[in-house]
Amino acid sequence: MPSVAPIEPDPPVDPVGPVDTGPAARARYLDEVMAEIDAEVRRRRASGDLPAGLERELDELFLEFSPVGLHGRARLRETLALVDGSAYVDTAVPVASQKAVGSYVKRLIRKAIGWYVGFIVHQIVRFAWSVSRMFHVVVDHVEDLEAAVESQRTPELPASAVPVAGPGWSWWSGAAVDALAGVGGRVLHAECGDGTLLDALIAGGADAYGVDPTESVIEPAIDRGLDVRAESVLGHLEVVADEALSGIVLSGSIQWLHPNERDRLETLVTSRLAIDGVLVLHSATPESWTAGSSHLISDLAPGRPLHAGTWSHLLAQRGFRPTALLYGGEDRRLDQVAPSNADADAINAAIDVVNTLLLGPGEYLLVAVRER
Amino acid sequence: MTGVHQFVPALLPRDATGDHTLALRDTFRSAGWESEIYVEAAHDELIDQATYFERYPERAEPGDILLYQLGTASPVADFLLSRPEPLVLDYHNVTPASFYEGWEDHTSEKVTLARSQVAALAPLAVLGIADSAFNAAELRRLGCRTTAVLPILIGRDGWVDRVDERELSRLFADHGTATVLLFVGRISPNKAQHHLVEALWLYRRWYDPEARLHLVGPAVTASYAEAVFGFAAELGLEGAVRHGEHLTPAQLAAWYADADVFVCVSEHEGFCIPLLEAMASDLPVVAYAAGAVPETLGDAGILLDDKRPSLVASAVDRVRHDPVLADRLVAAGRGRLGQFGAAATRARFVEVLGALAAGRGVD
Repeated sequence: MPSVAPIEPDPPVDPVGPVDTGPAARARYLDEVMAEIDAEVRRRRASGDLPAGLERELDELFLEFSPVGLHGRARLRETLALVDGSAYVDTAVPVASQKAVGSYVKRLIRKAIGWYVGFIVHQIVRFAWSVSRMFHVVVDHVEDLEAAVESQRTPELPASAVPVAGPGWSWWSGAAVDALAGVGGRVLHAECGDGTLLDALIAGGADAYGVDPTESVIEPAIDRGLDVRAESVLGHLEVVADEALSGIVLSGSIQWLHPNERDRLETLVTSRLAIDGVLVLHSATPESWTAGSSHLISDLAPGRPLHAGTWSHLLAQRGFRPTALLYGGEDRRLDQVAPSNADADAINAAIDVVNTLLLGPGEYLLVAVRER
Repeated sequence: MTGVHQFVPALLPRDATGDHTLALRDTFRSAGWESEIYVEAAHDELIDQATYFERYPERAEPGDILLYQLGTASPVADFLLSRPEPLVLDYHNVTPASFYEGWEDHTSEKVTLARSQVAALAPLAVLGIADSAFNAAELRRLGCRTTAVLPILIGRDGWVDRVDERELSRLFADHGTATVLLFVGRISPNKAQHHLVEALWLYRRWYDPEARLHLVGPAVTASYAEAVFGFAAELGLEGAVRHGEHLTPAQLAAWYADADVFVCVSEHEGFCIPLLEAMASDLPVVAYAAGAVPETLGDAGILLDDKRPSLVASAVDRVRHDPVLADRLVAAGRGRLGQFGAAATRARFVEVLGALAAGRGVD
């Protein structure tokens, strides 16, 4: 190992300014300065010079200039502009050089092979522009689609407005159990709540299980050992095999699904239910919809309950044969006046009209069998 | 005879890593060692001082130590992975890819590759040299067993060149007595120049409506640079934010001499040489405490733990209008600069690598 050659020392440091009072004193001094700077900012804030949110607004404004901050359509267009910008190939190779002769040589080379480079570049640019044009067409289509989807978008129903499936035995439970007695295969109860109907179906010999999107509601059913899953009916039916179910009970929020989702539900129910399988559908009546339910739901829900006759029609189109229709729930119909009343006939006629058009039973149960 | 040969992806003039590599080469030769520079590429000006790295095997000698100047992705890393000689890493940090995501995907991919190369090399290195404790900690996290903190060497005499007086006059004629905030560094998302624009906007509202921001450095991330200058124009600062690029060392010295405060709000710095250049120019510093900035700056500047524009603007004004504070910071800067003196750093490099060559390990 050779000896280390002597190295000249660094020139001495020549501090200026106030006498150095040591690192600790300097640190204290800087801490005091920082505290005063902080106080100045607080004073500005208190005086209104620094409105709340101003600095955040500055950051947000900067993001508008950044590809990081662009989203959706703007980002797509920004990226497309980059593609367009890159599609041009410059054949004018720079000829600048640190040495004078270098520049001359580069210029000579550029001139000599210009015809060759130009030929190649022409084809590359043509290809690049074709690709760019294709992207423009795709982006235009995407934007049209986005606009169409956006115009049909339904606002989300506030979660707080959605009632959880009511536990307990309802007026229609017994009829549903009867309709599904002896179906043989798996029976699904959509929006099964606490599993009361499942208990009855199982007691009746059915191989029943349930789904419900509200996790907290199904806990009692799970505690009782029932096969219950926290899923939406649409999400669940998507993953069920064709004709795997012998019976389906639809209840709860399926009655106010968006028309597109209701159509998807009809398709899924039809395909997942075996031939001769039984569909049991519980719904509120349209007449009771505005009068009987929460105004938030009736006003903001993406869909509204159908008349029993409409369901029958839709199901018949999909190969179902309606076998039973029961009305129940709260009956809000007005009672007729006694015949002893002098105007009984006129009044009762008016009551009939009101009952028919505006009131009537609150709910119904429709049973249908899949025939094809 | 001991040979300490350096490998560097690109040997460039007027470049911190290039200057460091050349200065080290001269230092090693002064110590009586053989020392060559092997490169993937070199600038025309320096091509006669470098050899392509593929030629090293035919020149290899027993006892050689290979010193890799690591700051970017390069096939040199893969080459060194295959070499049996003791490897020393001189790590200058690689900016995390997350800073470039969304801005420049190809740069993001390149730095990801670079960081994977650091991760592959670190466990194999007999020594990791880092120009800051921040960088040394990163090397240790990646499996480097022994590390030493040695500052970067600058080949020129002093940290800044003689001032180009014509450039200085031109700058002064442009802004007159207005306050000038200066930042030097490539225009890149991790340097966060957009926060300087925000600070300038607030500074003009509160303290000096004519204040200027001078940004010196190459616009390496074009989309970010466009965003920064577009943002400045949107805020009505088009004429108040000036960009200096392709400056000679003397012109750069003029930009330092022209400024009133050096302001750094960078979010990731492995060392930050411009802080030392500002100290050497007697320019008070206001800096956000990120990465290696606190250890490079020490108590020679106002160190902010937050870079809200209001805080930066207030700190700048305090420095600008408190001569006692400014003098103290400048004096502390000169003292701080002494700790990065070239002679002591060169001696320490020779001591550390000499110990390695003698098989004594590193203190």
